[in-house]
Amino acid sequence: MTETVIQTHKLSKIFGGLTAVDKVDLTVPEQAIASIIGPNGAGKTTFFNCVSGFYTPEEGDVLFYGKPIQGNATDKICSMGISRTYQNIRLFSQMTAIENIIVGKHPRLKGTWWEAILHNRRYIQEEEDAVKEALHWLDFVGLAGLGDQLALNLPYGAQRKLEIARALASEPKLLLLDEPTAGMNSQETAEMTAFIKSLRDDLGITILLIEHDMKVVMGISDQITVLDYGTKIAEGKPKEIQANQRVIEAYLGPGAAALSKKFQRKKSHDA
Amino acid sequence: MRTSIKNGIRLGAIVGVVILFFHLTGFSVVASSMLGSLLANVDKGAAMEEIPALNLAVILALMGMIAGGSASKNKQNDKWSNSLVSGAVAGAFAGLLTGIFIFVIGFANFKEIDLRNYLPEIGPDVIDSLLFGGNAAAPYLYLALLTVSGITGAALSKGVIRADWRKKAQADSVQSFKTLTQKPGVQKLFGNKIAMYGFLALAALLLYFLPTQWGSYWNYIMGTVGIYILLGLGLNIIVGLSGQLVLGYVAFFAIGAYTFGLFTAPEPHAIGMNFWLAILFAILAAAATGVLLGLPILSLRGDYLAIVTLGFGEIIRILIKSDMLTDFTNGPSGLSDLTQPKWLGQTFNDVNFFHLIVIFVAIAIFIAGRLQYSRTGRAWLAISADQTVAKATGINTYKYKLLALALGAAFAGLGGALFASRNQFTGPEDHILMVSINVLCLVIVGGMGSIPGVVVGSFVLKGVPELLRDLESYRLLAFGALLVVMMVMRPEGLWPIGRPAMEAAYNQKHPKDSPPEGEVQS
Repeated sequence: MTETVIQTHKLSKIFGGLTAVDKVDLTVPEQAIASIIGPNGAGKTTFFNCVSGFYTPEEGDVLFYGKPIQGNATDKICSMGISRTYQNIRLFSQMTAIENIIVGKHPRLKGTWWEAILHNRRYIQEEEDAVKEALHWLDFVGLAGLGDQLALNLPYGAQRKLEIARALASEPKLLLLDEPTAGMNSQETAEMTAFIKSLRDDLGITILLIEHDMKVVMGISDQITVLDYGTKIAEGKPKEIQANQRVIEAYLGPGAAALSKKFQRKKSHDA
Repeated sequence: MRTSIKNGIRLGAIVGVVILFFHLTGFSVVASSMLGSLLANVDKGAAMEEIPALNLAVILALMGMIAGGSASKNKQNDKWSNSLVSGAVAGAFAGLLTGIFIFVIGFANFKEIDLRNYLPEIGPDVIDSLLFGGNAAAPYLYLALLTVSGITGAALSKGVIRADWRKKAQADSVQSFKTLTQKPGVQKLFGNKIAMYGFLALAALLLYFLPTQWGSYWNYIMGTVGIYILLGLGLNIIVGLSGQLVLGYVAFFAIGAYTFGLFTAPEPHAIGMNFWLAILFAILAAAATGVLLGLPILSLRGDYLAIVTLGFGEIIRILIKSDMLTDFTNGPSGLSDLTQPKWLGQTFNDVNFFHLIVIFVAIAIFIAGRLQYSRTGRAWLAISADQTVAKATGINTYKYKLLALALGAAFAGLGGALFASRNQFTGPEDHILMVSINVLCLVIVGGMGSIPGVVVGSFVLKGVPELLRDLESYRLLAFGALLVVMMVMRPEGLWPIGRPAMEAAYNQKHPKDSPPEGEVQS
């Protein structure tokens, strides 16, 4: 039986009078690609922020390999093995691509400030290894040769990839991707989809994904959770979600499910 | 044509206002007197009436040429006629502005209205010299002079500075310089460690022998520059690298100076500690203060942090000065007769002290440089770029901010102790807010986060004012203008630095690890 990587139990986050996430249960097994979808303002990113430690949930637990992690600071959660990317790219723009990746590796390095001044043998070795590994990640995301560019000078797609490389450098067990294909054209989206799949297949990383592009979601997800107004309205395999009435209504409004059925009937009738 | 005229009016207005400013502050008269000593037609200390009108005319003509030249510097002005029109309009507009001003003050003078009630610098004799010796036609002379010089400036700019033959010559010289630097021999020299050590040795030799030659005055000035380099390096860690805007930096300077002073001064405690030990204690005390201050306030960000630290700087100074602590700190009268360093039984003279400062600066540059490109330095930069993301990337932001503050404070503590020891005195008035602002300025002028920038910035902020002593009371005015011009021309600082090219360096070091595509190594 595969182990559960992340599990939330009745997770709630309240802003003033607004319950942004309302008693959401979610279980993601190891090496799965789990997607969270929902209309705008459904609480997807808030849910992400609760898992990655940006917010402390008012109620409920976040269990990472069975251990509760809610309330921990983000740097601690990161060093436990959860990394994330952001909906609007947030790189360290005045640093080079390589440096961004090495900063991502920060929790796995040990060099202290006095070692940096003394330049002892261990420190030099560690720095050299860090550069080597950063170059490996750079190559892995397909940005080899752009390592010495400042992050802000990279094209949009490359910045998205660099953000993922930075997240990968901390050797995470769970990777949270917040709309990785936002603003990409269809070819770039296809590339990114294949890339996300390879992360799971080649590196064995569990992936939790927020995505609006249904092609991407339906193509790679092992399980899909649908949020609407902070509550979970559906969960299951892509096929099951596509047929779910409540999901269709959440996206298209009440009555849309009936229309869609009619449409489907008409299609089968025509055929 | 319309853009040429617009451009002309714009630059004419700017230069006209600058001339008015010079007139109103009385700088024009001082400048013509200085020009007099250059042209050798005025004796030193000569009265205002003895300055020939020619000098003022030369200055005005220069300003007009600047106006005309800059106005004609426009992409659309590739035609001679457009260039000249721009220059003429610029000169004429500047002339119009100043002409009206001259007419008004001349008229007021004629009516015997004492303008000094409103404009303190404009006395009758100043008006006389501004009117080319009380010439009634002065407004027309201004207009004519500035228009003609505007056209001349435009013609010079079009015909000489922007001429094709000159551009070509410039491009050629740049190209030949580039080919020179790309010759393998020269390249080797740049990358060569021996050459670098040779250069360093030369610099060390210069720094060793120069102080014995240039006298104690320059030793004092350059020593101050050195101490400001120390302060700048420390603040550069806090503001330039970790991005925490700390405005009360002088507090750490004061802690360093007073720790040193209290341990070595005969009054009020008479501990009589050894110089080197006292320096060490000063550094430690400043660093500890940094940590203690940082613990409660480093969760603040941006403006809030700036305000809190600003307050802290003032609190320290006022505490030192206060009656409450007079028995402990000697209050407003400060600490005097501080220990001078001794080495092998010999007390340091000014040359030795300068050498001591140079050694400390060298050590500080070494430490700051190593930190900057380390894991610690990267963490600082990440925090300054985006604190939230830095934390989510696994950086303990609180710890690193605290470390930056402690290390920065330690540099300031060393600077303060050296400053106090060299003056053999330290008092509350050494530790005013201006010190913090000066250090922040030199970090910004040099280029945030850049170590060579700090060095250059210190020379500019503490050295250049000394070079401007000839300007007498206009020294700080000119210095301020210089700073404005520098920041407008180079907003990123005088010597900004990029980030290291790690990929290129790695590939150069391990050429086998990255075989070209399509080739398989066997």
